Amino acid sequence: MSVAGFSPKGGERVWAAALIFPTMVGLALGALGSIVATIGLSFFDWDLFTTPELVGLENYTDLPGDRRFMRALTNTLIFSAIYVPGTVILSMLIAVLLNRQIHGKSVFRLIYFLPVVSSPTAVGLVWSWIYSKDQGVLNAMVTGLGMEPVHWLGRDLALYSVVVVNIWGAIGEGMIIFLAGLQAIPKDVYEAAMLDGADRVRTFLRITMPLLIPSIFFQSILSTINAFQAFDYVYILTQTQGGGSTVPTLVFNLYREGFNNFRMGNAAAQAVVLAAMIMVLTLIYNRMQKKWG
Amino acid sequence: MKRHLITASALALVAGAAQAQVELKYMMWGDPPEIAVWEQLVSDFQETHPDISISVEVADWDSYWNKLRVTTAGGDAPDIFAMDAPVYPDWQSRGTLLNLQPYIDADPGALDGVYEGPLSSYALEDGYYGMPRDFQTIVLYYNTAMFDEAGLDYPDDSWTLDDLRAAAEALTIDKDGDGTIDQWGIGTEAWDMEPFWGPVVYGYGGDIISEDGSTTLLTEGAAPEAFAYVQGLFDDGLIMSEEDLDSYGWDGLYAGVAAMAFSGHWVVPAYSELDFDWAVAPFPAGPEGRATLVNSAGIVASSSTEYPDEAWEFISYVISEEGQSTLAQLGFAIPVNEAAATGPAYLEQPVEADHQLFVDALDYAHTKPSFLGYEEWSEIVGEPLSMVWRGEMSLDDAMSEIGDYADDALN
Repeated sequence: MSVAGFSPKGGERVWAAALIFPTMVGLALGALGSIVATIGLSFFDWDLFTTPELVGLENYTDLPGDRRFMRALTNTLIFSAIYVPGTVILSMLIAVLLNRQIHGKSVFRLIYFLPVVSSPTAVGLVWSWIYSKDQGVLNAMVTGLGMEPVHWLGRDLALYSVVVVNIWGAIGEGMIIFLAGLQAIPKDVYEAAMLDGADRVRTFLRITMPLLIPSIFFQSILSTINAFQAFDYVYILTQTQGGGSTVPTLVFNLYREGFNNFRMGNAAAQAVVLAAMIMVLTLIYNRMQKKWG
Repeated sequence: MKRHLITASALALVAGAAQAQVELKYMMWGDPPEIAVWEQLVSDFQETHPDISISVEVADWDSYWNKLRVTTAGGDAPDIFAMDAPVYPDWQSRGTLLNLQPYIDADPGALDGVYEGPLSSYALEDGYYGMPRDFQTIVLYYNTAMFDEAGLDYPDDSWTLDDLRAAAEALTIDKDGDGTIDQWGIGTEAWDMEPFWGPVVYGYGGDIISEDGSTTLLTEGAAPEAFAYVQGLFDDGLIMSEEDLDSYGWDGLYAGVAAMAFSGHWVVPAYSELDFDWAVAPFPAGPEGRATLVNSAGIVASSSTEYPDEAWEFISYVISEEGQSTLAQLGFAIPVNEAAATGPAYLEQPVEADHQLFVDALDYAHTKPSFLGYEEWSEIVGEPLSMVWRGEMSLDDAMSEIGDYADDALN
């Protein structure tokens, strides 16, 4: 299903190319350069200070036996398994609600978009106060109900507490994508459905959902990339003294390997593996989209 | 004749200006009172070395190490910087430190009077790549008013860890009866071994790591018993939790909410500004005797400095009796120079306290372990332990996690 107006035709193509060009140059020089450097580095043993030493594939073959990497991988997979459906479903629902004719629509849209434009550091600090065991807002309510205070950021719950913050922070962005998708759906389809006497639920399931499939896949890909790259809230909310984390994710782990333990080659190999995983998932989504669409 | 004089003095001025070109950057971690101490030392140094100007840059502990890593990796390391004995072997093994051995060989008197213990922390197989700057023994600090209020005798050298626990029980008080503690017995950071759990492990007759730095010994012998003792203090709320400590700053005694704290001499300048009375006592004895930790902060030069000779000039001044006396007078550290440590500069400093007690602690102190892979090791060990302190993990689980993985970080 292609949406009208999304594929440039004729003279528009020249304009599209011209407008994309500066970004492409930046990407080629900035992103591509560091990608090539990272791949190169992953074959070396390098501690930042001494001369790098070629070790071949050792950095990669060491990974399955690396307990910290495997733990980070598990954390990231669980994190993504909650984060991706959570973000997609919630932002779609909110977009559908805010696409209606209701009072204060733009105020609600603003409220949901606010976390996207706030600094993750500041937001993370606020959440760390909300989650704090003895002085936190959340536990003030929990103890107010006569229950024991909960270790929100303790070993058992930290992963879920952090996912909640990440989903909350991402809904706004997803909402914008779904709103755009919703507004691209032609009005006459709904009018026809209304004439045929379809109710709201049926309209949503039979018309809105299928026509939103491109947006759903797009948002799923974006969320997956974000989930695999989760770092900021993880770093701020779960960092322990001494530079560890109660929920080390892949990016946290490679940051720690590279910049705390000075194993740049190892960290580079982890980054390449991470990129490969995201690429494979993106390809799978693409395939699915073709099949569904 | 007059004209000649003018020319001569002009030349002298130019020469003076040319000489003053050597600018060194000295970076260290520290608290605000320490900055003044070091600026004093630098200005003393410049009286005899007008040709070397030194700028002192200070950062708090965490940002200090991040800054050092980034600037060193970026090829812009400070010429001279502070070092901590436990991580010194790692920094040296990465080729970042200037070898001081040639300078010491050329100036054999430079190390005269420096304590053997702290010096040995910086002696590596192929010589010295740093000098101890000062040393710190861990002692017990206590708030005398809180002891008076509770009607307790002050801690002394007869105290055992059982006495510590009993006093902590009496001093942990919910003052307004609202169910939350307002005053704790002990307010000390317990993530790192240095201030608290290290001395307790040694006091129980346990050990931390083998001499050659290849095997972790924390899960064997008496060490787990020592951890059980510490865990008991946390479980009963007698020692401030990490979160409470965080919300009150870095030290419960300093914040006025804890009756006792364990620290080195480094807190003395900050404590001297407190408006209540405090005193010191030796670390309480464990079942196997009295023990504490001693650690030496050091001073090193970057291997990439443009002015290695001048950097050594400053380092050797810092460890000399004169430099050490200045540091001592200003109250921060225990001098590594014996003459300074046993002289009036250290013993009769403006802040009144039993300064001798810190030096005497050397008799029963264990050197804080120092080995390759220290930081990673202490993270692997510290994380399960702090989870035990927070009540999120059983001690048995922590011990088996440490047993399984701690040696991975060792070479």
